[in-house]
Amino acid sequence: MKRGAYIVIVFFAMICMALPVSAQKRSNLIMGSDKLVLLIDMRSSKTEVDTLLKKAGLKGANAAAILKGDFSALQKDGWTMAKKRGNIVEFDSPLENLNKNPQIKPYLITTKIDNDDEGSPGYPTDVNFGINNFAKVTVHELPSGLTRFFLPGYLQNRRALLSGNFNNWSTLKGVMAKTDSGWIADVKLKPGKYEYKFIVDGHWINDRYNNLVADHDDNSIYFRYNYTFKLNGNANAHKIILTGSFNNWDANSIIMEKSGGVWQKQMYLHDGTQAYRFLVDGKWITDPANSNKIQGDDGIINSILNLGETVIFKLDGYTDAKKVYVGGSFNNWERGLIPLTKTKTGWALSLIIPPGNYGYKFVVDDKWITDPANPRSMVEGGIVNSFISVKPNYTFKLSGFNNAKSVHLAGSFNNFDKFGYSMAFNGSEWTVSVRLKPGKQLYKFIVDDKWIIDPGNKLYEPNQYNSGNSVLWIE
Amino acid sequence: MPKFYLLVLFLFFCCPGAAGSEKVILDGITFKNVNPDPDPSPTGDFKTLVIPIKRAGNLIVIEAQIDTLEGNFVLDTGAPYLVLNETYFRDLPHAAEQESAGINGAAGSSFTTYVRNLNILDLHYSKLRADVTDLSSIENGRGIKILGLLGTRLLADFAVTVDLFRNTLYIQKLDENGNIPEAEKVFHDRFMVSPFKMLNDVILMKGTVNDNSLWFAFDSAAETSLLDYRRSKKLIPDMEVISRSKIMGIGGTSIEVIYTRFDNLVVGDRKYMKNRIMITSLEKMGSAYGYKIDGVLGYDFFVRGIFTINFVKKEFEMYIYNNQ
Repeated sequence: MKRGAYIVIVFFAMICMALPVSAQKRSNLIMGSDKLVLLIDMRSSKTEVDTLLKKAGLKGANAAAILKGDFSALQKDGWTMAKKRGNIVEFDSPLENLNKNPQIKPYLITTKIDNDDEGSPGYPTDVNFGINNFAKVTVHELPSGLTRFFLPGYLQNRRALLSGNFNNWSTLKGVMAKTDSGWIADVKLKPGKYEYKFIVDGHWINDRYNNLVADHDDNSIYFRYNYTFKLNGNANAHKIILTGSFNNWDANSIIMEKSGGVWQKQMYLHDGTQAYRFLVDGKWITDPANSNKIQGDDGIINSILNLGETVIFKLDGYTDAKKVYVGGSFNNWERGLIPLTKTKTGWALSLIIPPGNYGYKFVVDDKWITDPANPRSMVEGGIVNSFISVKPNYTFKLSGFNNAKSVHLAGSFNNFDKFGYSMAFNGSEWTVSVRLKPGKQLYKFIVDDKWIIDPGNKLYEPNQYNSGNSVLWIE
Repeated sequence: MPKFYLLVLFLFFCCPGAAGSEKVILDGITFKNVNPDPDPSPTGDFKTLVIPIKRAGNLIVIEAQIDTLEGNFVLDTGAPYLVLNETYFRDLPHAAEQESAGINGAAGSSFTTYVRNLNILDLHYSKLRADVTDLSSIENGRGIKILGLLGTRLLADFAVTVDLFRNTLYIQKLDENGNIPEAEKVFHDRFMVSPFKMLNDVILMKGTVNDNSLWFAFDSAAETSLLDYRRSKKLIPDMEVISRSKIMGIGGTSIEVIYTRFDNLVVGDRKYMKNRIMITSLEKMGSAYGYKIDGVLGYDFFVRGIFTINFVKKEFEMYIYNNQ
C-alpha cells in the first residue's frame, strides 16, 4: 500500500475513534483467494452490522447478538473466526463450492436472482382507492361497459397499439383504429388500477394527457371506477371533502363535485369494509343516506360501506341451539365472530366478503363445527375448516377416479400444502372452484395420497421430484 | 499480446469450430447436428424493423408468432438458434434427440424439431430448425410466459440494435459492404466498437481486466455478467463483494452466488468502471457454448448504452444514449 494511502487510513481510523457513531467503520466483505472474508467492526451500530449481514447473505443472523460477541449464527452458516485485531473480527468462508456450480446456461442462475425492483414493474399492486387525473380526458367509459382509450394525432403513422397490464403488455394485440383525429381502442376492464402505454410504429409512448404516471418506465395509470359517493342537499355549501379509512382520513385530497344538485365523487374503491365521513365547510357529518354507522373507540361515528360479494351462510337444523356464529379467515376468525339469524329450518346470514379463498366454521353454542353442507375443506394452522371461494375465477376438474376416497388440489397458490383444497365428486368429476391471482400457477391433484399431474391439461413442466407439475396461466 | 500467442489462440478457437461433422463432442457434451443444413434465409419487406421490447427482470423480451401461436420470446445471443419451451411445444415432431449431458443430471429431454413459420412483425422465417427444451426456470424466475429463445442464427444477416432506454429493438438490413445504410442509421455518436468472433453461433468478444486478456461470451439473456471463479482469483485481488446469496438449483441443490464490483474492464477501445459481475464456475457453461470462456458479458455490461451487433461485419458497437 502506498504510504500516502496509509496515512489517510490512519487519519480516518483516528476520526473513527473520535466520532464512533458517524464515522465510517471498517466492516467489509471482500473476496480473498479461495475464501470470502467478512470483517466486522465491533464498534459498528446495529444498522451497519445488519447491512453487512444482508450483504453476506446471512438472513437469520441477529446483529445485536453479534455485537455482544455471540457469533453462533455465523458459525452455523459455515463461517470460521480467523482472527481478531483490535475491534475488527475476521470471519472466513471457503469458496471452493463455487467450483461445483453445475449450471450450463447463464439464465439458469441469473433468472433466479431477485431484482432490486419491487414486485413486477408494469403490473400495479392493489390499492385502496384511485381517482384519475387527466389534463384532457383520453380514456373514458362507454355505455356498452367497454373502456375507450384515445390517442390524439399521429395520423401520419402506420400503426398504433394499446398495450398495458390488461393485455399482458402485448406488442401485437391491442391494435388501435384510426379516426380523423387520432387512434382508438376499446377494452373490457374490471374495476381496478391499470398501467398502459401506446406503441406507435414500434415506439413506446405514454399518454401525455394523463397526469398519473407510474414510478416505473413512465407508464400511464388509469383507474376503472366502481363506486360513486353521493351527498344530497347542502346546496349552499362551498366545499365538501370526503375522507375515509381508504385514504387515511386525509382531509385535503378528495373534494366532492356538484353535479345536477348532488354532491358526488366517483372513484375506484377496493373491496372490503371502509369507514367514511364528509367535511362540509369545516363541519363533520356522516352520510345521511347510509344507515350503516359505527361508533369507533374514539367516540366518533362513521358511515360504513361494505364492498364485495354477498355470500349466504346457512346451517340447517340446530334449532335448539341458543346461538350460532360464523368465523373465518375473511374476518380474522375470533376477532369478529358474526351471529347467524334463526330461521324456520335452521340458521342463516348474508355477508359481504371481498373476493378470495377462505376457510370458515360455524360456532354452535361455543362448539366449532365445519359446514355440514359444504363438501370442500382446507387446512389452516393444522385445523380442517370448510373452504369457500368468493368470486372464483377458475374451476379445477378431474374426470373419473370414481372410486377414489379423496382428491385434493395442491399448488403454488396454497404452497403445495398436501391437504390443499379438498375436491368434491359430482358423479362424473372431482371439482373445486378457486380464486387465483393473474399469472402462472403450478398445481397437482392428490388422489388418495398419490400426487398426479392433471390428465386433462396438456401443459406441464419438470419439477425437482422429476414427476412434473401442471401449468396454468390465469389472465 | 505478442502475435505468436494470438496465432495460437486463434488456432485453439478455430480447430473445434472447423469440425464439419454432424456430431461434435466437447467436454463430454455431444452436439448433434452442430452444422446442419443452413436454415432458409428469412424474408421481409423492410429496411429497418422497429420492434417494441418488453422487459422481464433484465431480460429482453419481444413478441413473435410461431405457426399459429403468439407470445413472448427472449432475445438470447447465448443461444445458437431458435429454442422453444417444452411446456408448450413438446408435441412437435422429433427430428433428432439432443444428447446434452442434462442440466445437473435432471432428465434432459431436449429434442430438435422444425417449425413451419416464425414471424417477428414483418420478418418471416419458414421451415426453421428449433430445439425444444425446458425453459420453466425463466418463467418461474420472472413470472412471464416464455415461448422460446431467439438465438443468433436467426439474426445472422442483420444488424441488431437494442435501446433499453426506450425499450426498442431495431433489426436492419445491411448494404453490400455489410453496413447499415446511412439513411437508415438511428444512432450516430459511437462510443465504443469491438470486433467479435462467431464460434458455434456464440458471440465471443475479447476484453481485458487489469491488463489480463480474457474471452467473454456476449449473452443478451444473461441478467448479470459472469466471471469464472478460477480466473477471477488471479485477476483481481480483494474484490469488493456487493452481495452473497444462495439460490436453489434444479434438483434442490443450493448454489452460492457472489456478486462483486471491480474497475478496469476494457472492451473494444473503452474502459468500463464499477463493473458488477457474478463470480461462478463457467466450466459447464463453456461447454454449453462449445468453448472455454473466461466470462460472460450480460446485462450489467450492455445496459450501459445502446448497442448494435452487426452480425455480418462481426462488430459490436455501443452508443451514448442521446436524449434527442
